Amino acid sequence: MNSMERDPADDRPEPERLEEKETLVIGCGNVLIGDDGFGPAFIKHLAERGGVPESVGLLDAGTGVRKVLFDLALSERRPRRIIVVDAIDVGRRPGEVFEIDLEGIPAVKSDDFSMHQLPTSNLLKELREECGVEVRVAAVQVESIPPEVKAGLSKPVAAAMGKAAELVLEMIACPLTL
Amino acid sequence: MAKTLTIAPVSRLEGHAKVTINLDDKGDVADTFVNIVELRGFEKFCLGRPVEEMPRIVTSICGVCPWSHHLAASKAGDAALGLTPPPTGRKLRELCNSIAYTEEHILHFFFLAGADYVLGPGADYRTRNVIGIAQAAPEIGKKVVRNRHLGARMLGIISGKSIHPVTSMPGGFSKPLTAGERDTALKMAEEVLEFSKWGIAWAKSEVFPKYLDAVKTVGVIKTGYMGTVRADGSMDLYDGKIRLMKPDGSFEDFEDSRYLDYIEEKVLPWSYLKFPYAKKWGEGFSMDLDAPKGIYRTNTLARINACEKISTPLAQKELEEFRKAFGRPCHLTLLYNWARLIELLYNAEYAVQLLKDPQITGKETRVSAKPKAGRGVGHVEAPRGTLIHDYETDAEGMIVNANLIVGTTHNNAPINMAVKHAAKALIKGGNYNEELLNTVEMSIRAYDPCFSCATHNLDGRVAVKIEVKGPDGQVQRTLAN
Repeated sequence: MNSMERDPADDRPEPERLEEKETLVIGCGNVLIGDDGFGPAFIKHLAERGGVPESVGLLDAGTGVRKVLFDLALSERRPRRIIVVDAIDVGRRPGEVFEIDLEGIPAVKSDDFSMHQLPTSNLLKELREECGVEVRVAAVQVESIPPEVKAGLSKPVAAAMGKAAELVLEMIACPLTL
Repeated sequence: MAKTLTIAPVSRLEGHAKVTINLDDKGDVADTFVNIVELRGFEKFCLGRPVEEMPRIVTSICGVCPWSHHLAASKAGDAALGLTPPPTGRKLRELCNSIAYTEEHILHFFFLAGADYVLGPGADYRTRNVIGIAQAAPEIGKKVVRNRHLGARMLGIISGKSIHPVTSMPGGFSKPLTAGERDTALKMAEEVLEFSKWGIAWAKSEVFPKYLDAVKTVGVIKTGYMGTVRADGSMDLYDGKIRLMKPDGSFEDFEDSRYLDYIEEKVLPWSYLKFPYAKKWGEGFSMDLDAPKGIYRTNTLARINACEKISTPLAQKELEEFRKAFGRPCHLTLLYNWARLIELLYNAEYAVQLLKDPQITGKETRVSAKPKAGRGVGHVEAPRGTLIHDYETDAEGMIVNANLIVGTTHNNAPINMAVKHAAKALIKGGNYNEELLNTVEMSIRAYDPCFSCATHNLDGRVAVKIEVKGPDGQVQRTLAN
């Protein structure tokens, strides 16, 4: 190609810089481990459903969520609010959608342990307390987590998308507290 | 009465591990076990899937080193379908591999292992993490994050996605790089190179000197090593022959397709993670610290030991300095972190070199593929060690057999040995404290283990079984989680 000629592909926008969004919704979990894949599926659902303000970024962090949180914690520019969406097993009704209060989670060493499992409550609390980021966690109760790799959500968890979207959009609409 | 001391979990690793230390009547370490508690069944999941989809599927195994799986799966697909990617396609793969390495190594050294060095092993675990680093050394924190961001942005520009990449495929790479994209990425790569030069210089002056005593004692074991080398013996992280080095430094190179002739995986009743060992040495398998058999290590130090040289000038200079100080092979486990910074420098240099290569913006990035029956082995050096994907396909190109050996699995036996060595040295007469325990953890973290994709046994739900033995060797208790 002639060096003077411009390649139309150069006009492709650079990938979105999520740290510059006011609110970042992070779906996390492993799509290969049944209901653990709720977070990534939810991000797709929310993007397709629409109604998300321009100032909100959506990120399917899959199993790489802690890398994202690590970087956000130290980034000069970071969202003012992070909403983590995750599947969790706390003995509620399968498919039940609820908010987890970070205060209710004890600061135990195990929370620093995994690079890609949530709630990484120590890091989330520190993001809030030390970095001034408002952190909220929307969770869905899993039906079961398969003992080996098996993709796909259970019926009650798949059916929870709508309620989870309502909860997250409600969180987005709340005035920032920090 | 013998006592069991448990350190669980090992913080800041990517997965679940549990260290059990058995103390004898005197309170000294009788034995140790590093246990893996996560269970996966990925190989079974692969069966019946099109081989060309594997590079995309494998990135979901784990978000920690998706590029390594993405590329190993692409290479196994190349081999199964008899494809040779065009030079541009190969170079784009290598470029992404090197950039992903810079992200990974920066993360590990500065955020994971770094907390031990920057804050000290005695620091409270609640602050001995990334936020603790940010508060203790804010300028370093900023540099680290900026350079990790640059890595992610470069991968985004080159491949569209950095977390779960989709651009590499059997036959090559799906997206050519434009000249404009190259120019943007090159500026970023040059900045990462400057950071990498600063990082190793800073660590050599500010970090490593404080820990040289620990380096000489913690987790030191004499083992063999595995790495990948080019025909001239230079280190390569994307392609080449696998080099298996004995503890005395002698070595043999082999094609990855012959890996089963050289290594075998030992199953032990207390761990779901297998223990690969060097079958080719013909001495069997033993983790006895005084007389280990068949034990080799992978990951940074292993590759630094295995190679004759490094093809980029600054990393080669660092390699020479390292070898002058510590010899070849170097068995000091904590020097995995030093070796990591040499590799960071190599990858940063290599990324700049590739981006300046005129072929990198070529338009021929892939060859077309047709399904066929075959077997293909593809390997890359993942940050944590030699990553082998082995697929067998039917006439329709569907997977009928799959075997994966991931970096951490190679290091399962050495990790167990290093923990035993460290625990024996640091726990005497029943005396231990938080600092001692964390130093045991440091010896594990040096290997940068990622246990989540290392465990792939299918048969059973009980992830770990622990036997607690007394000084008489009899089982006192059996623990299962």
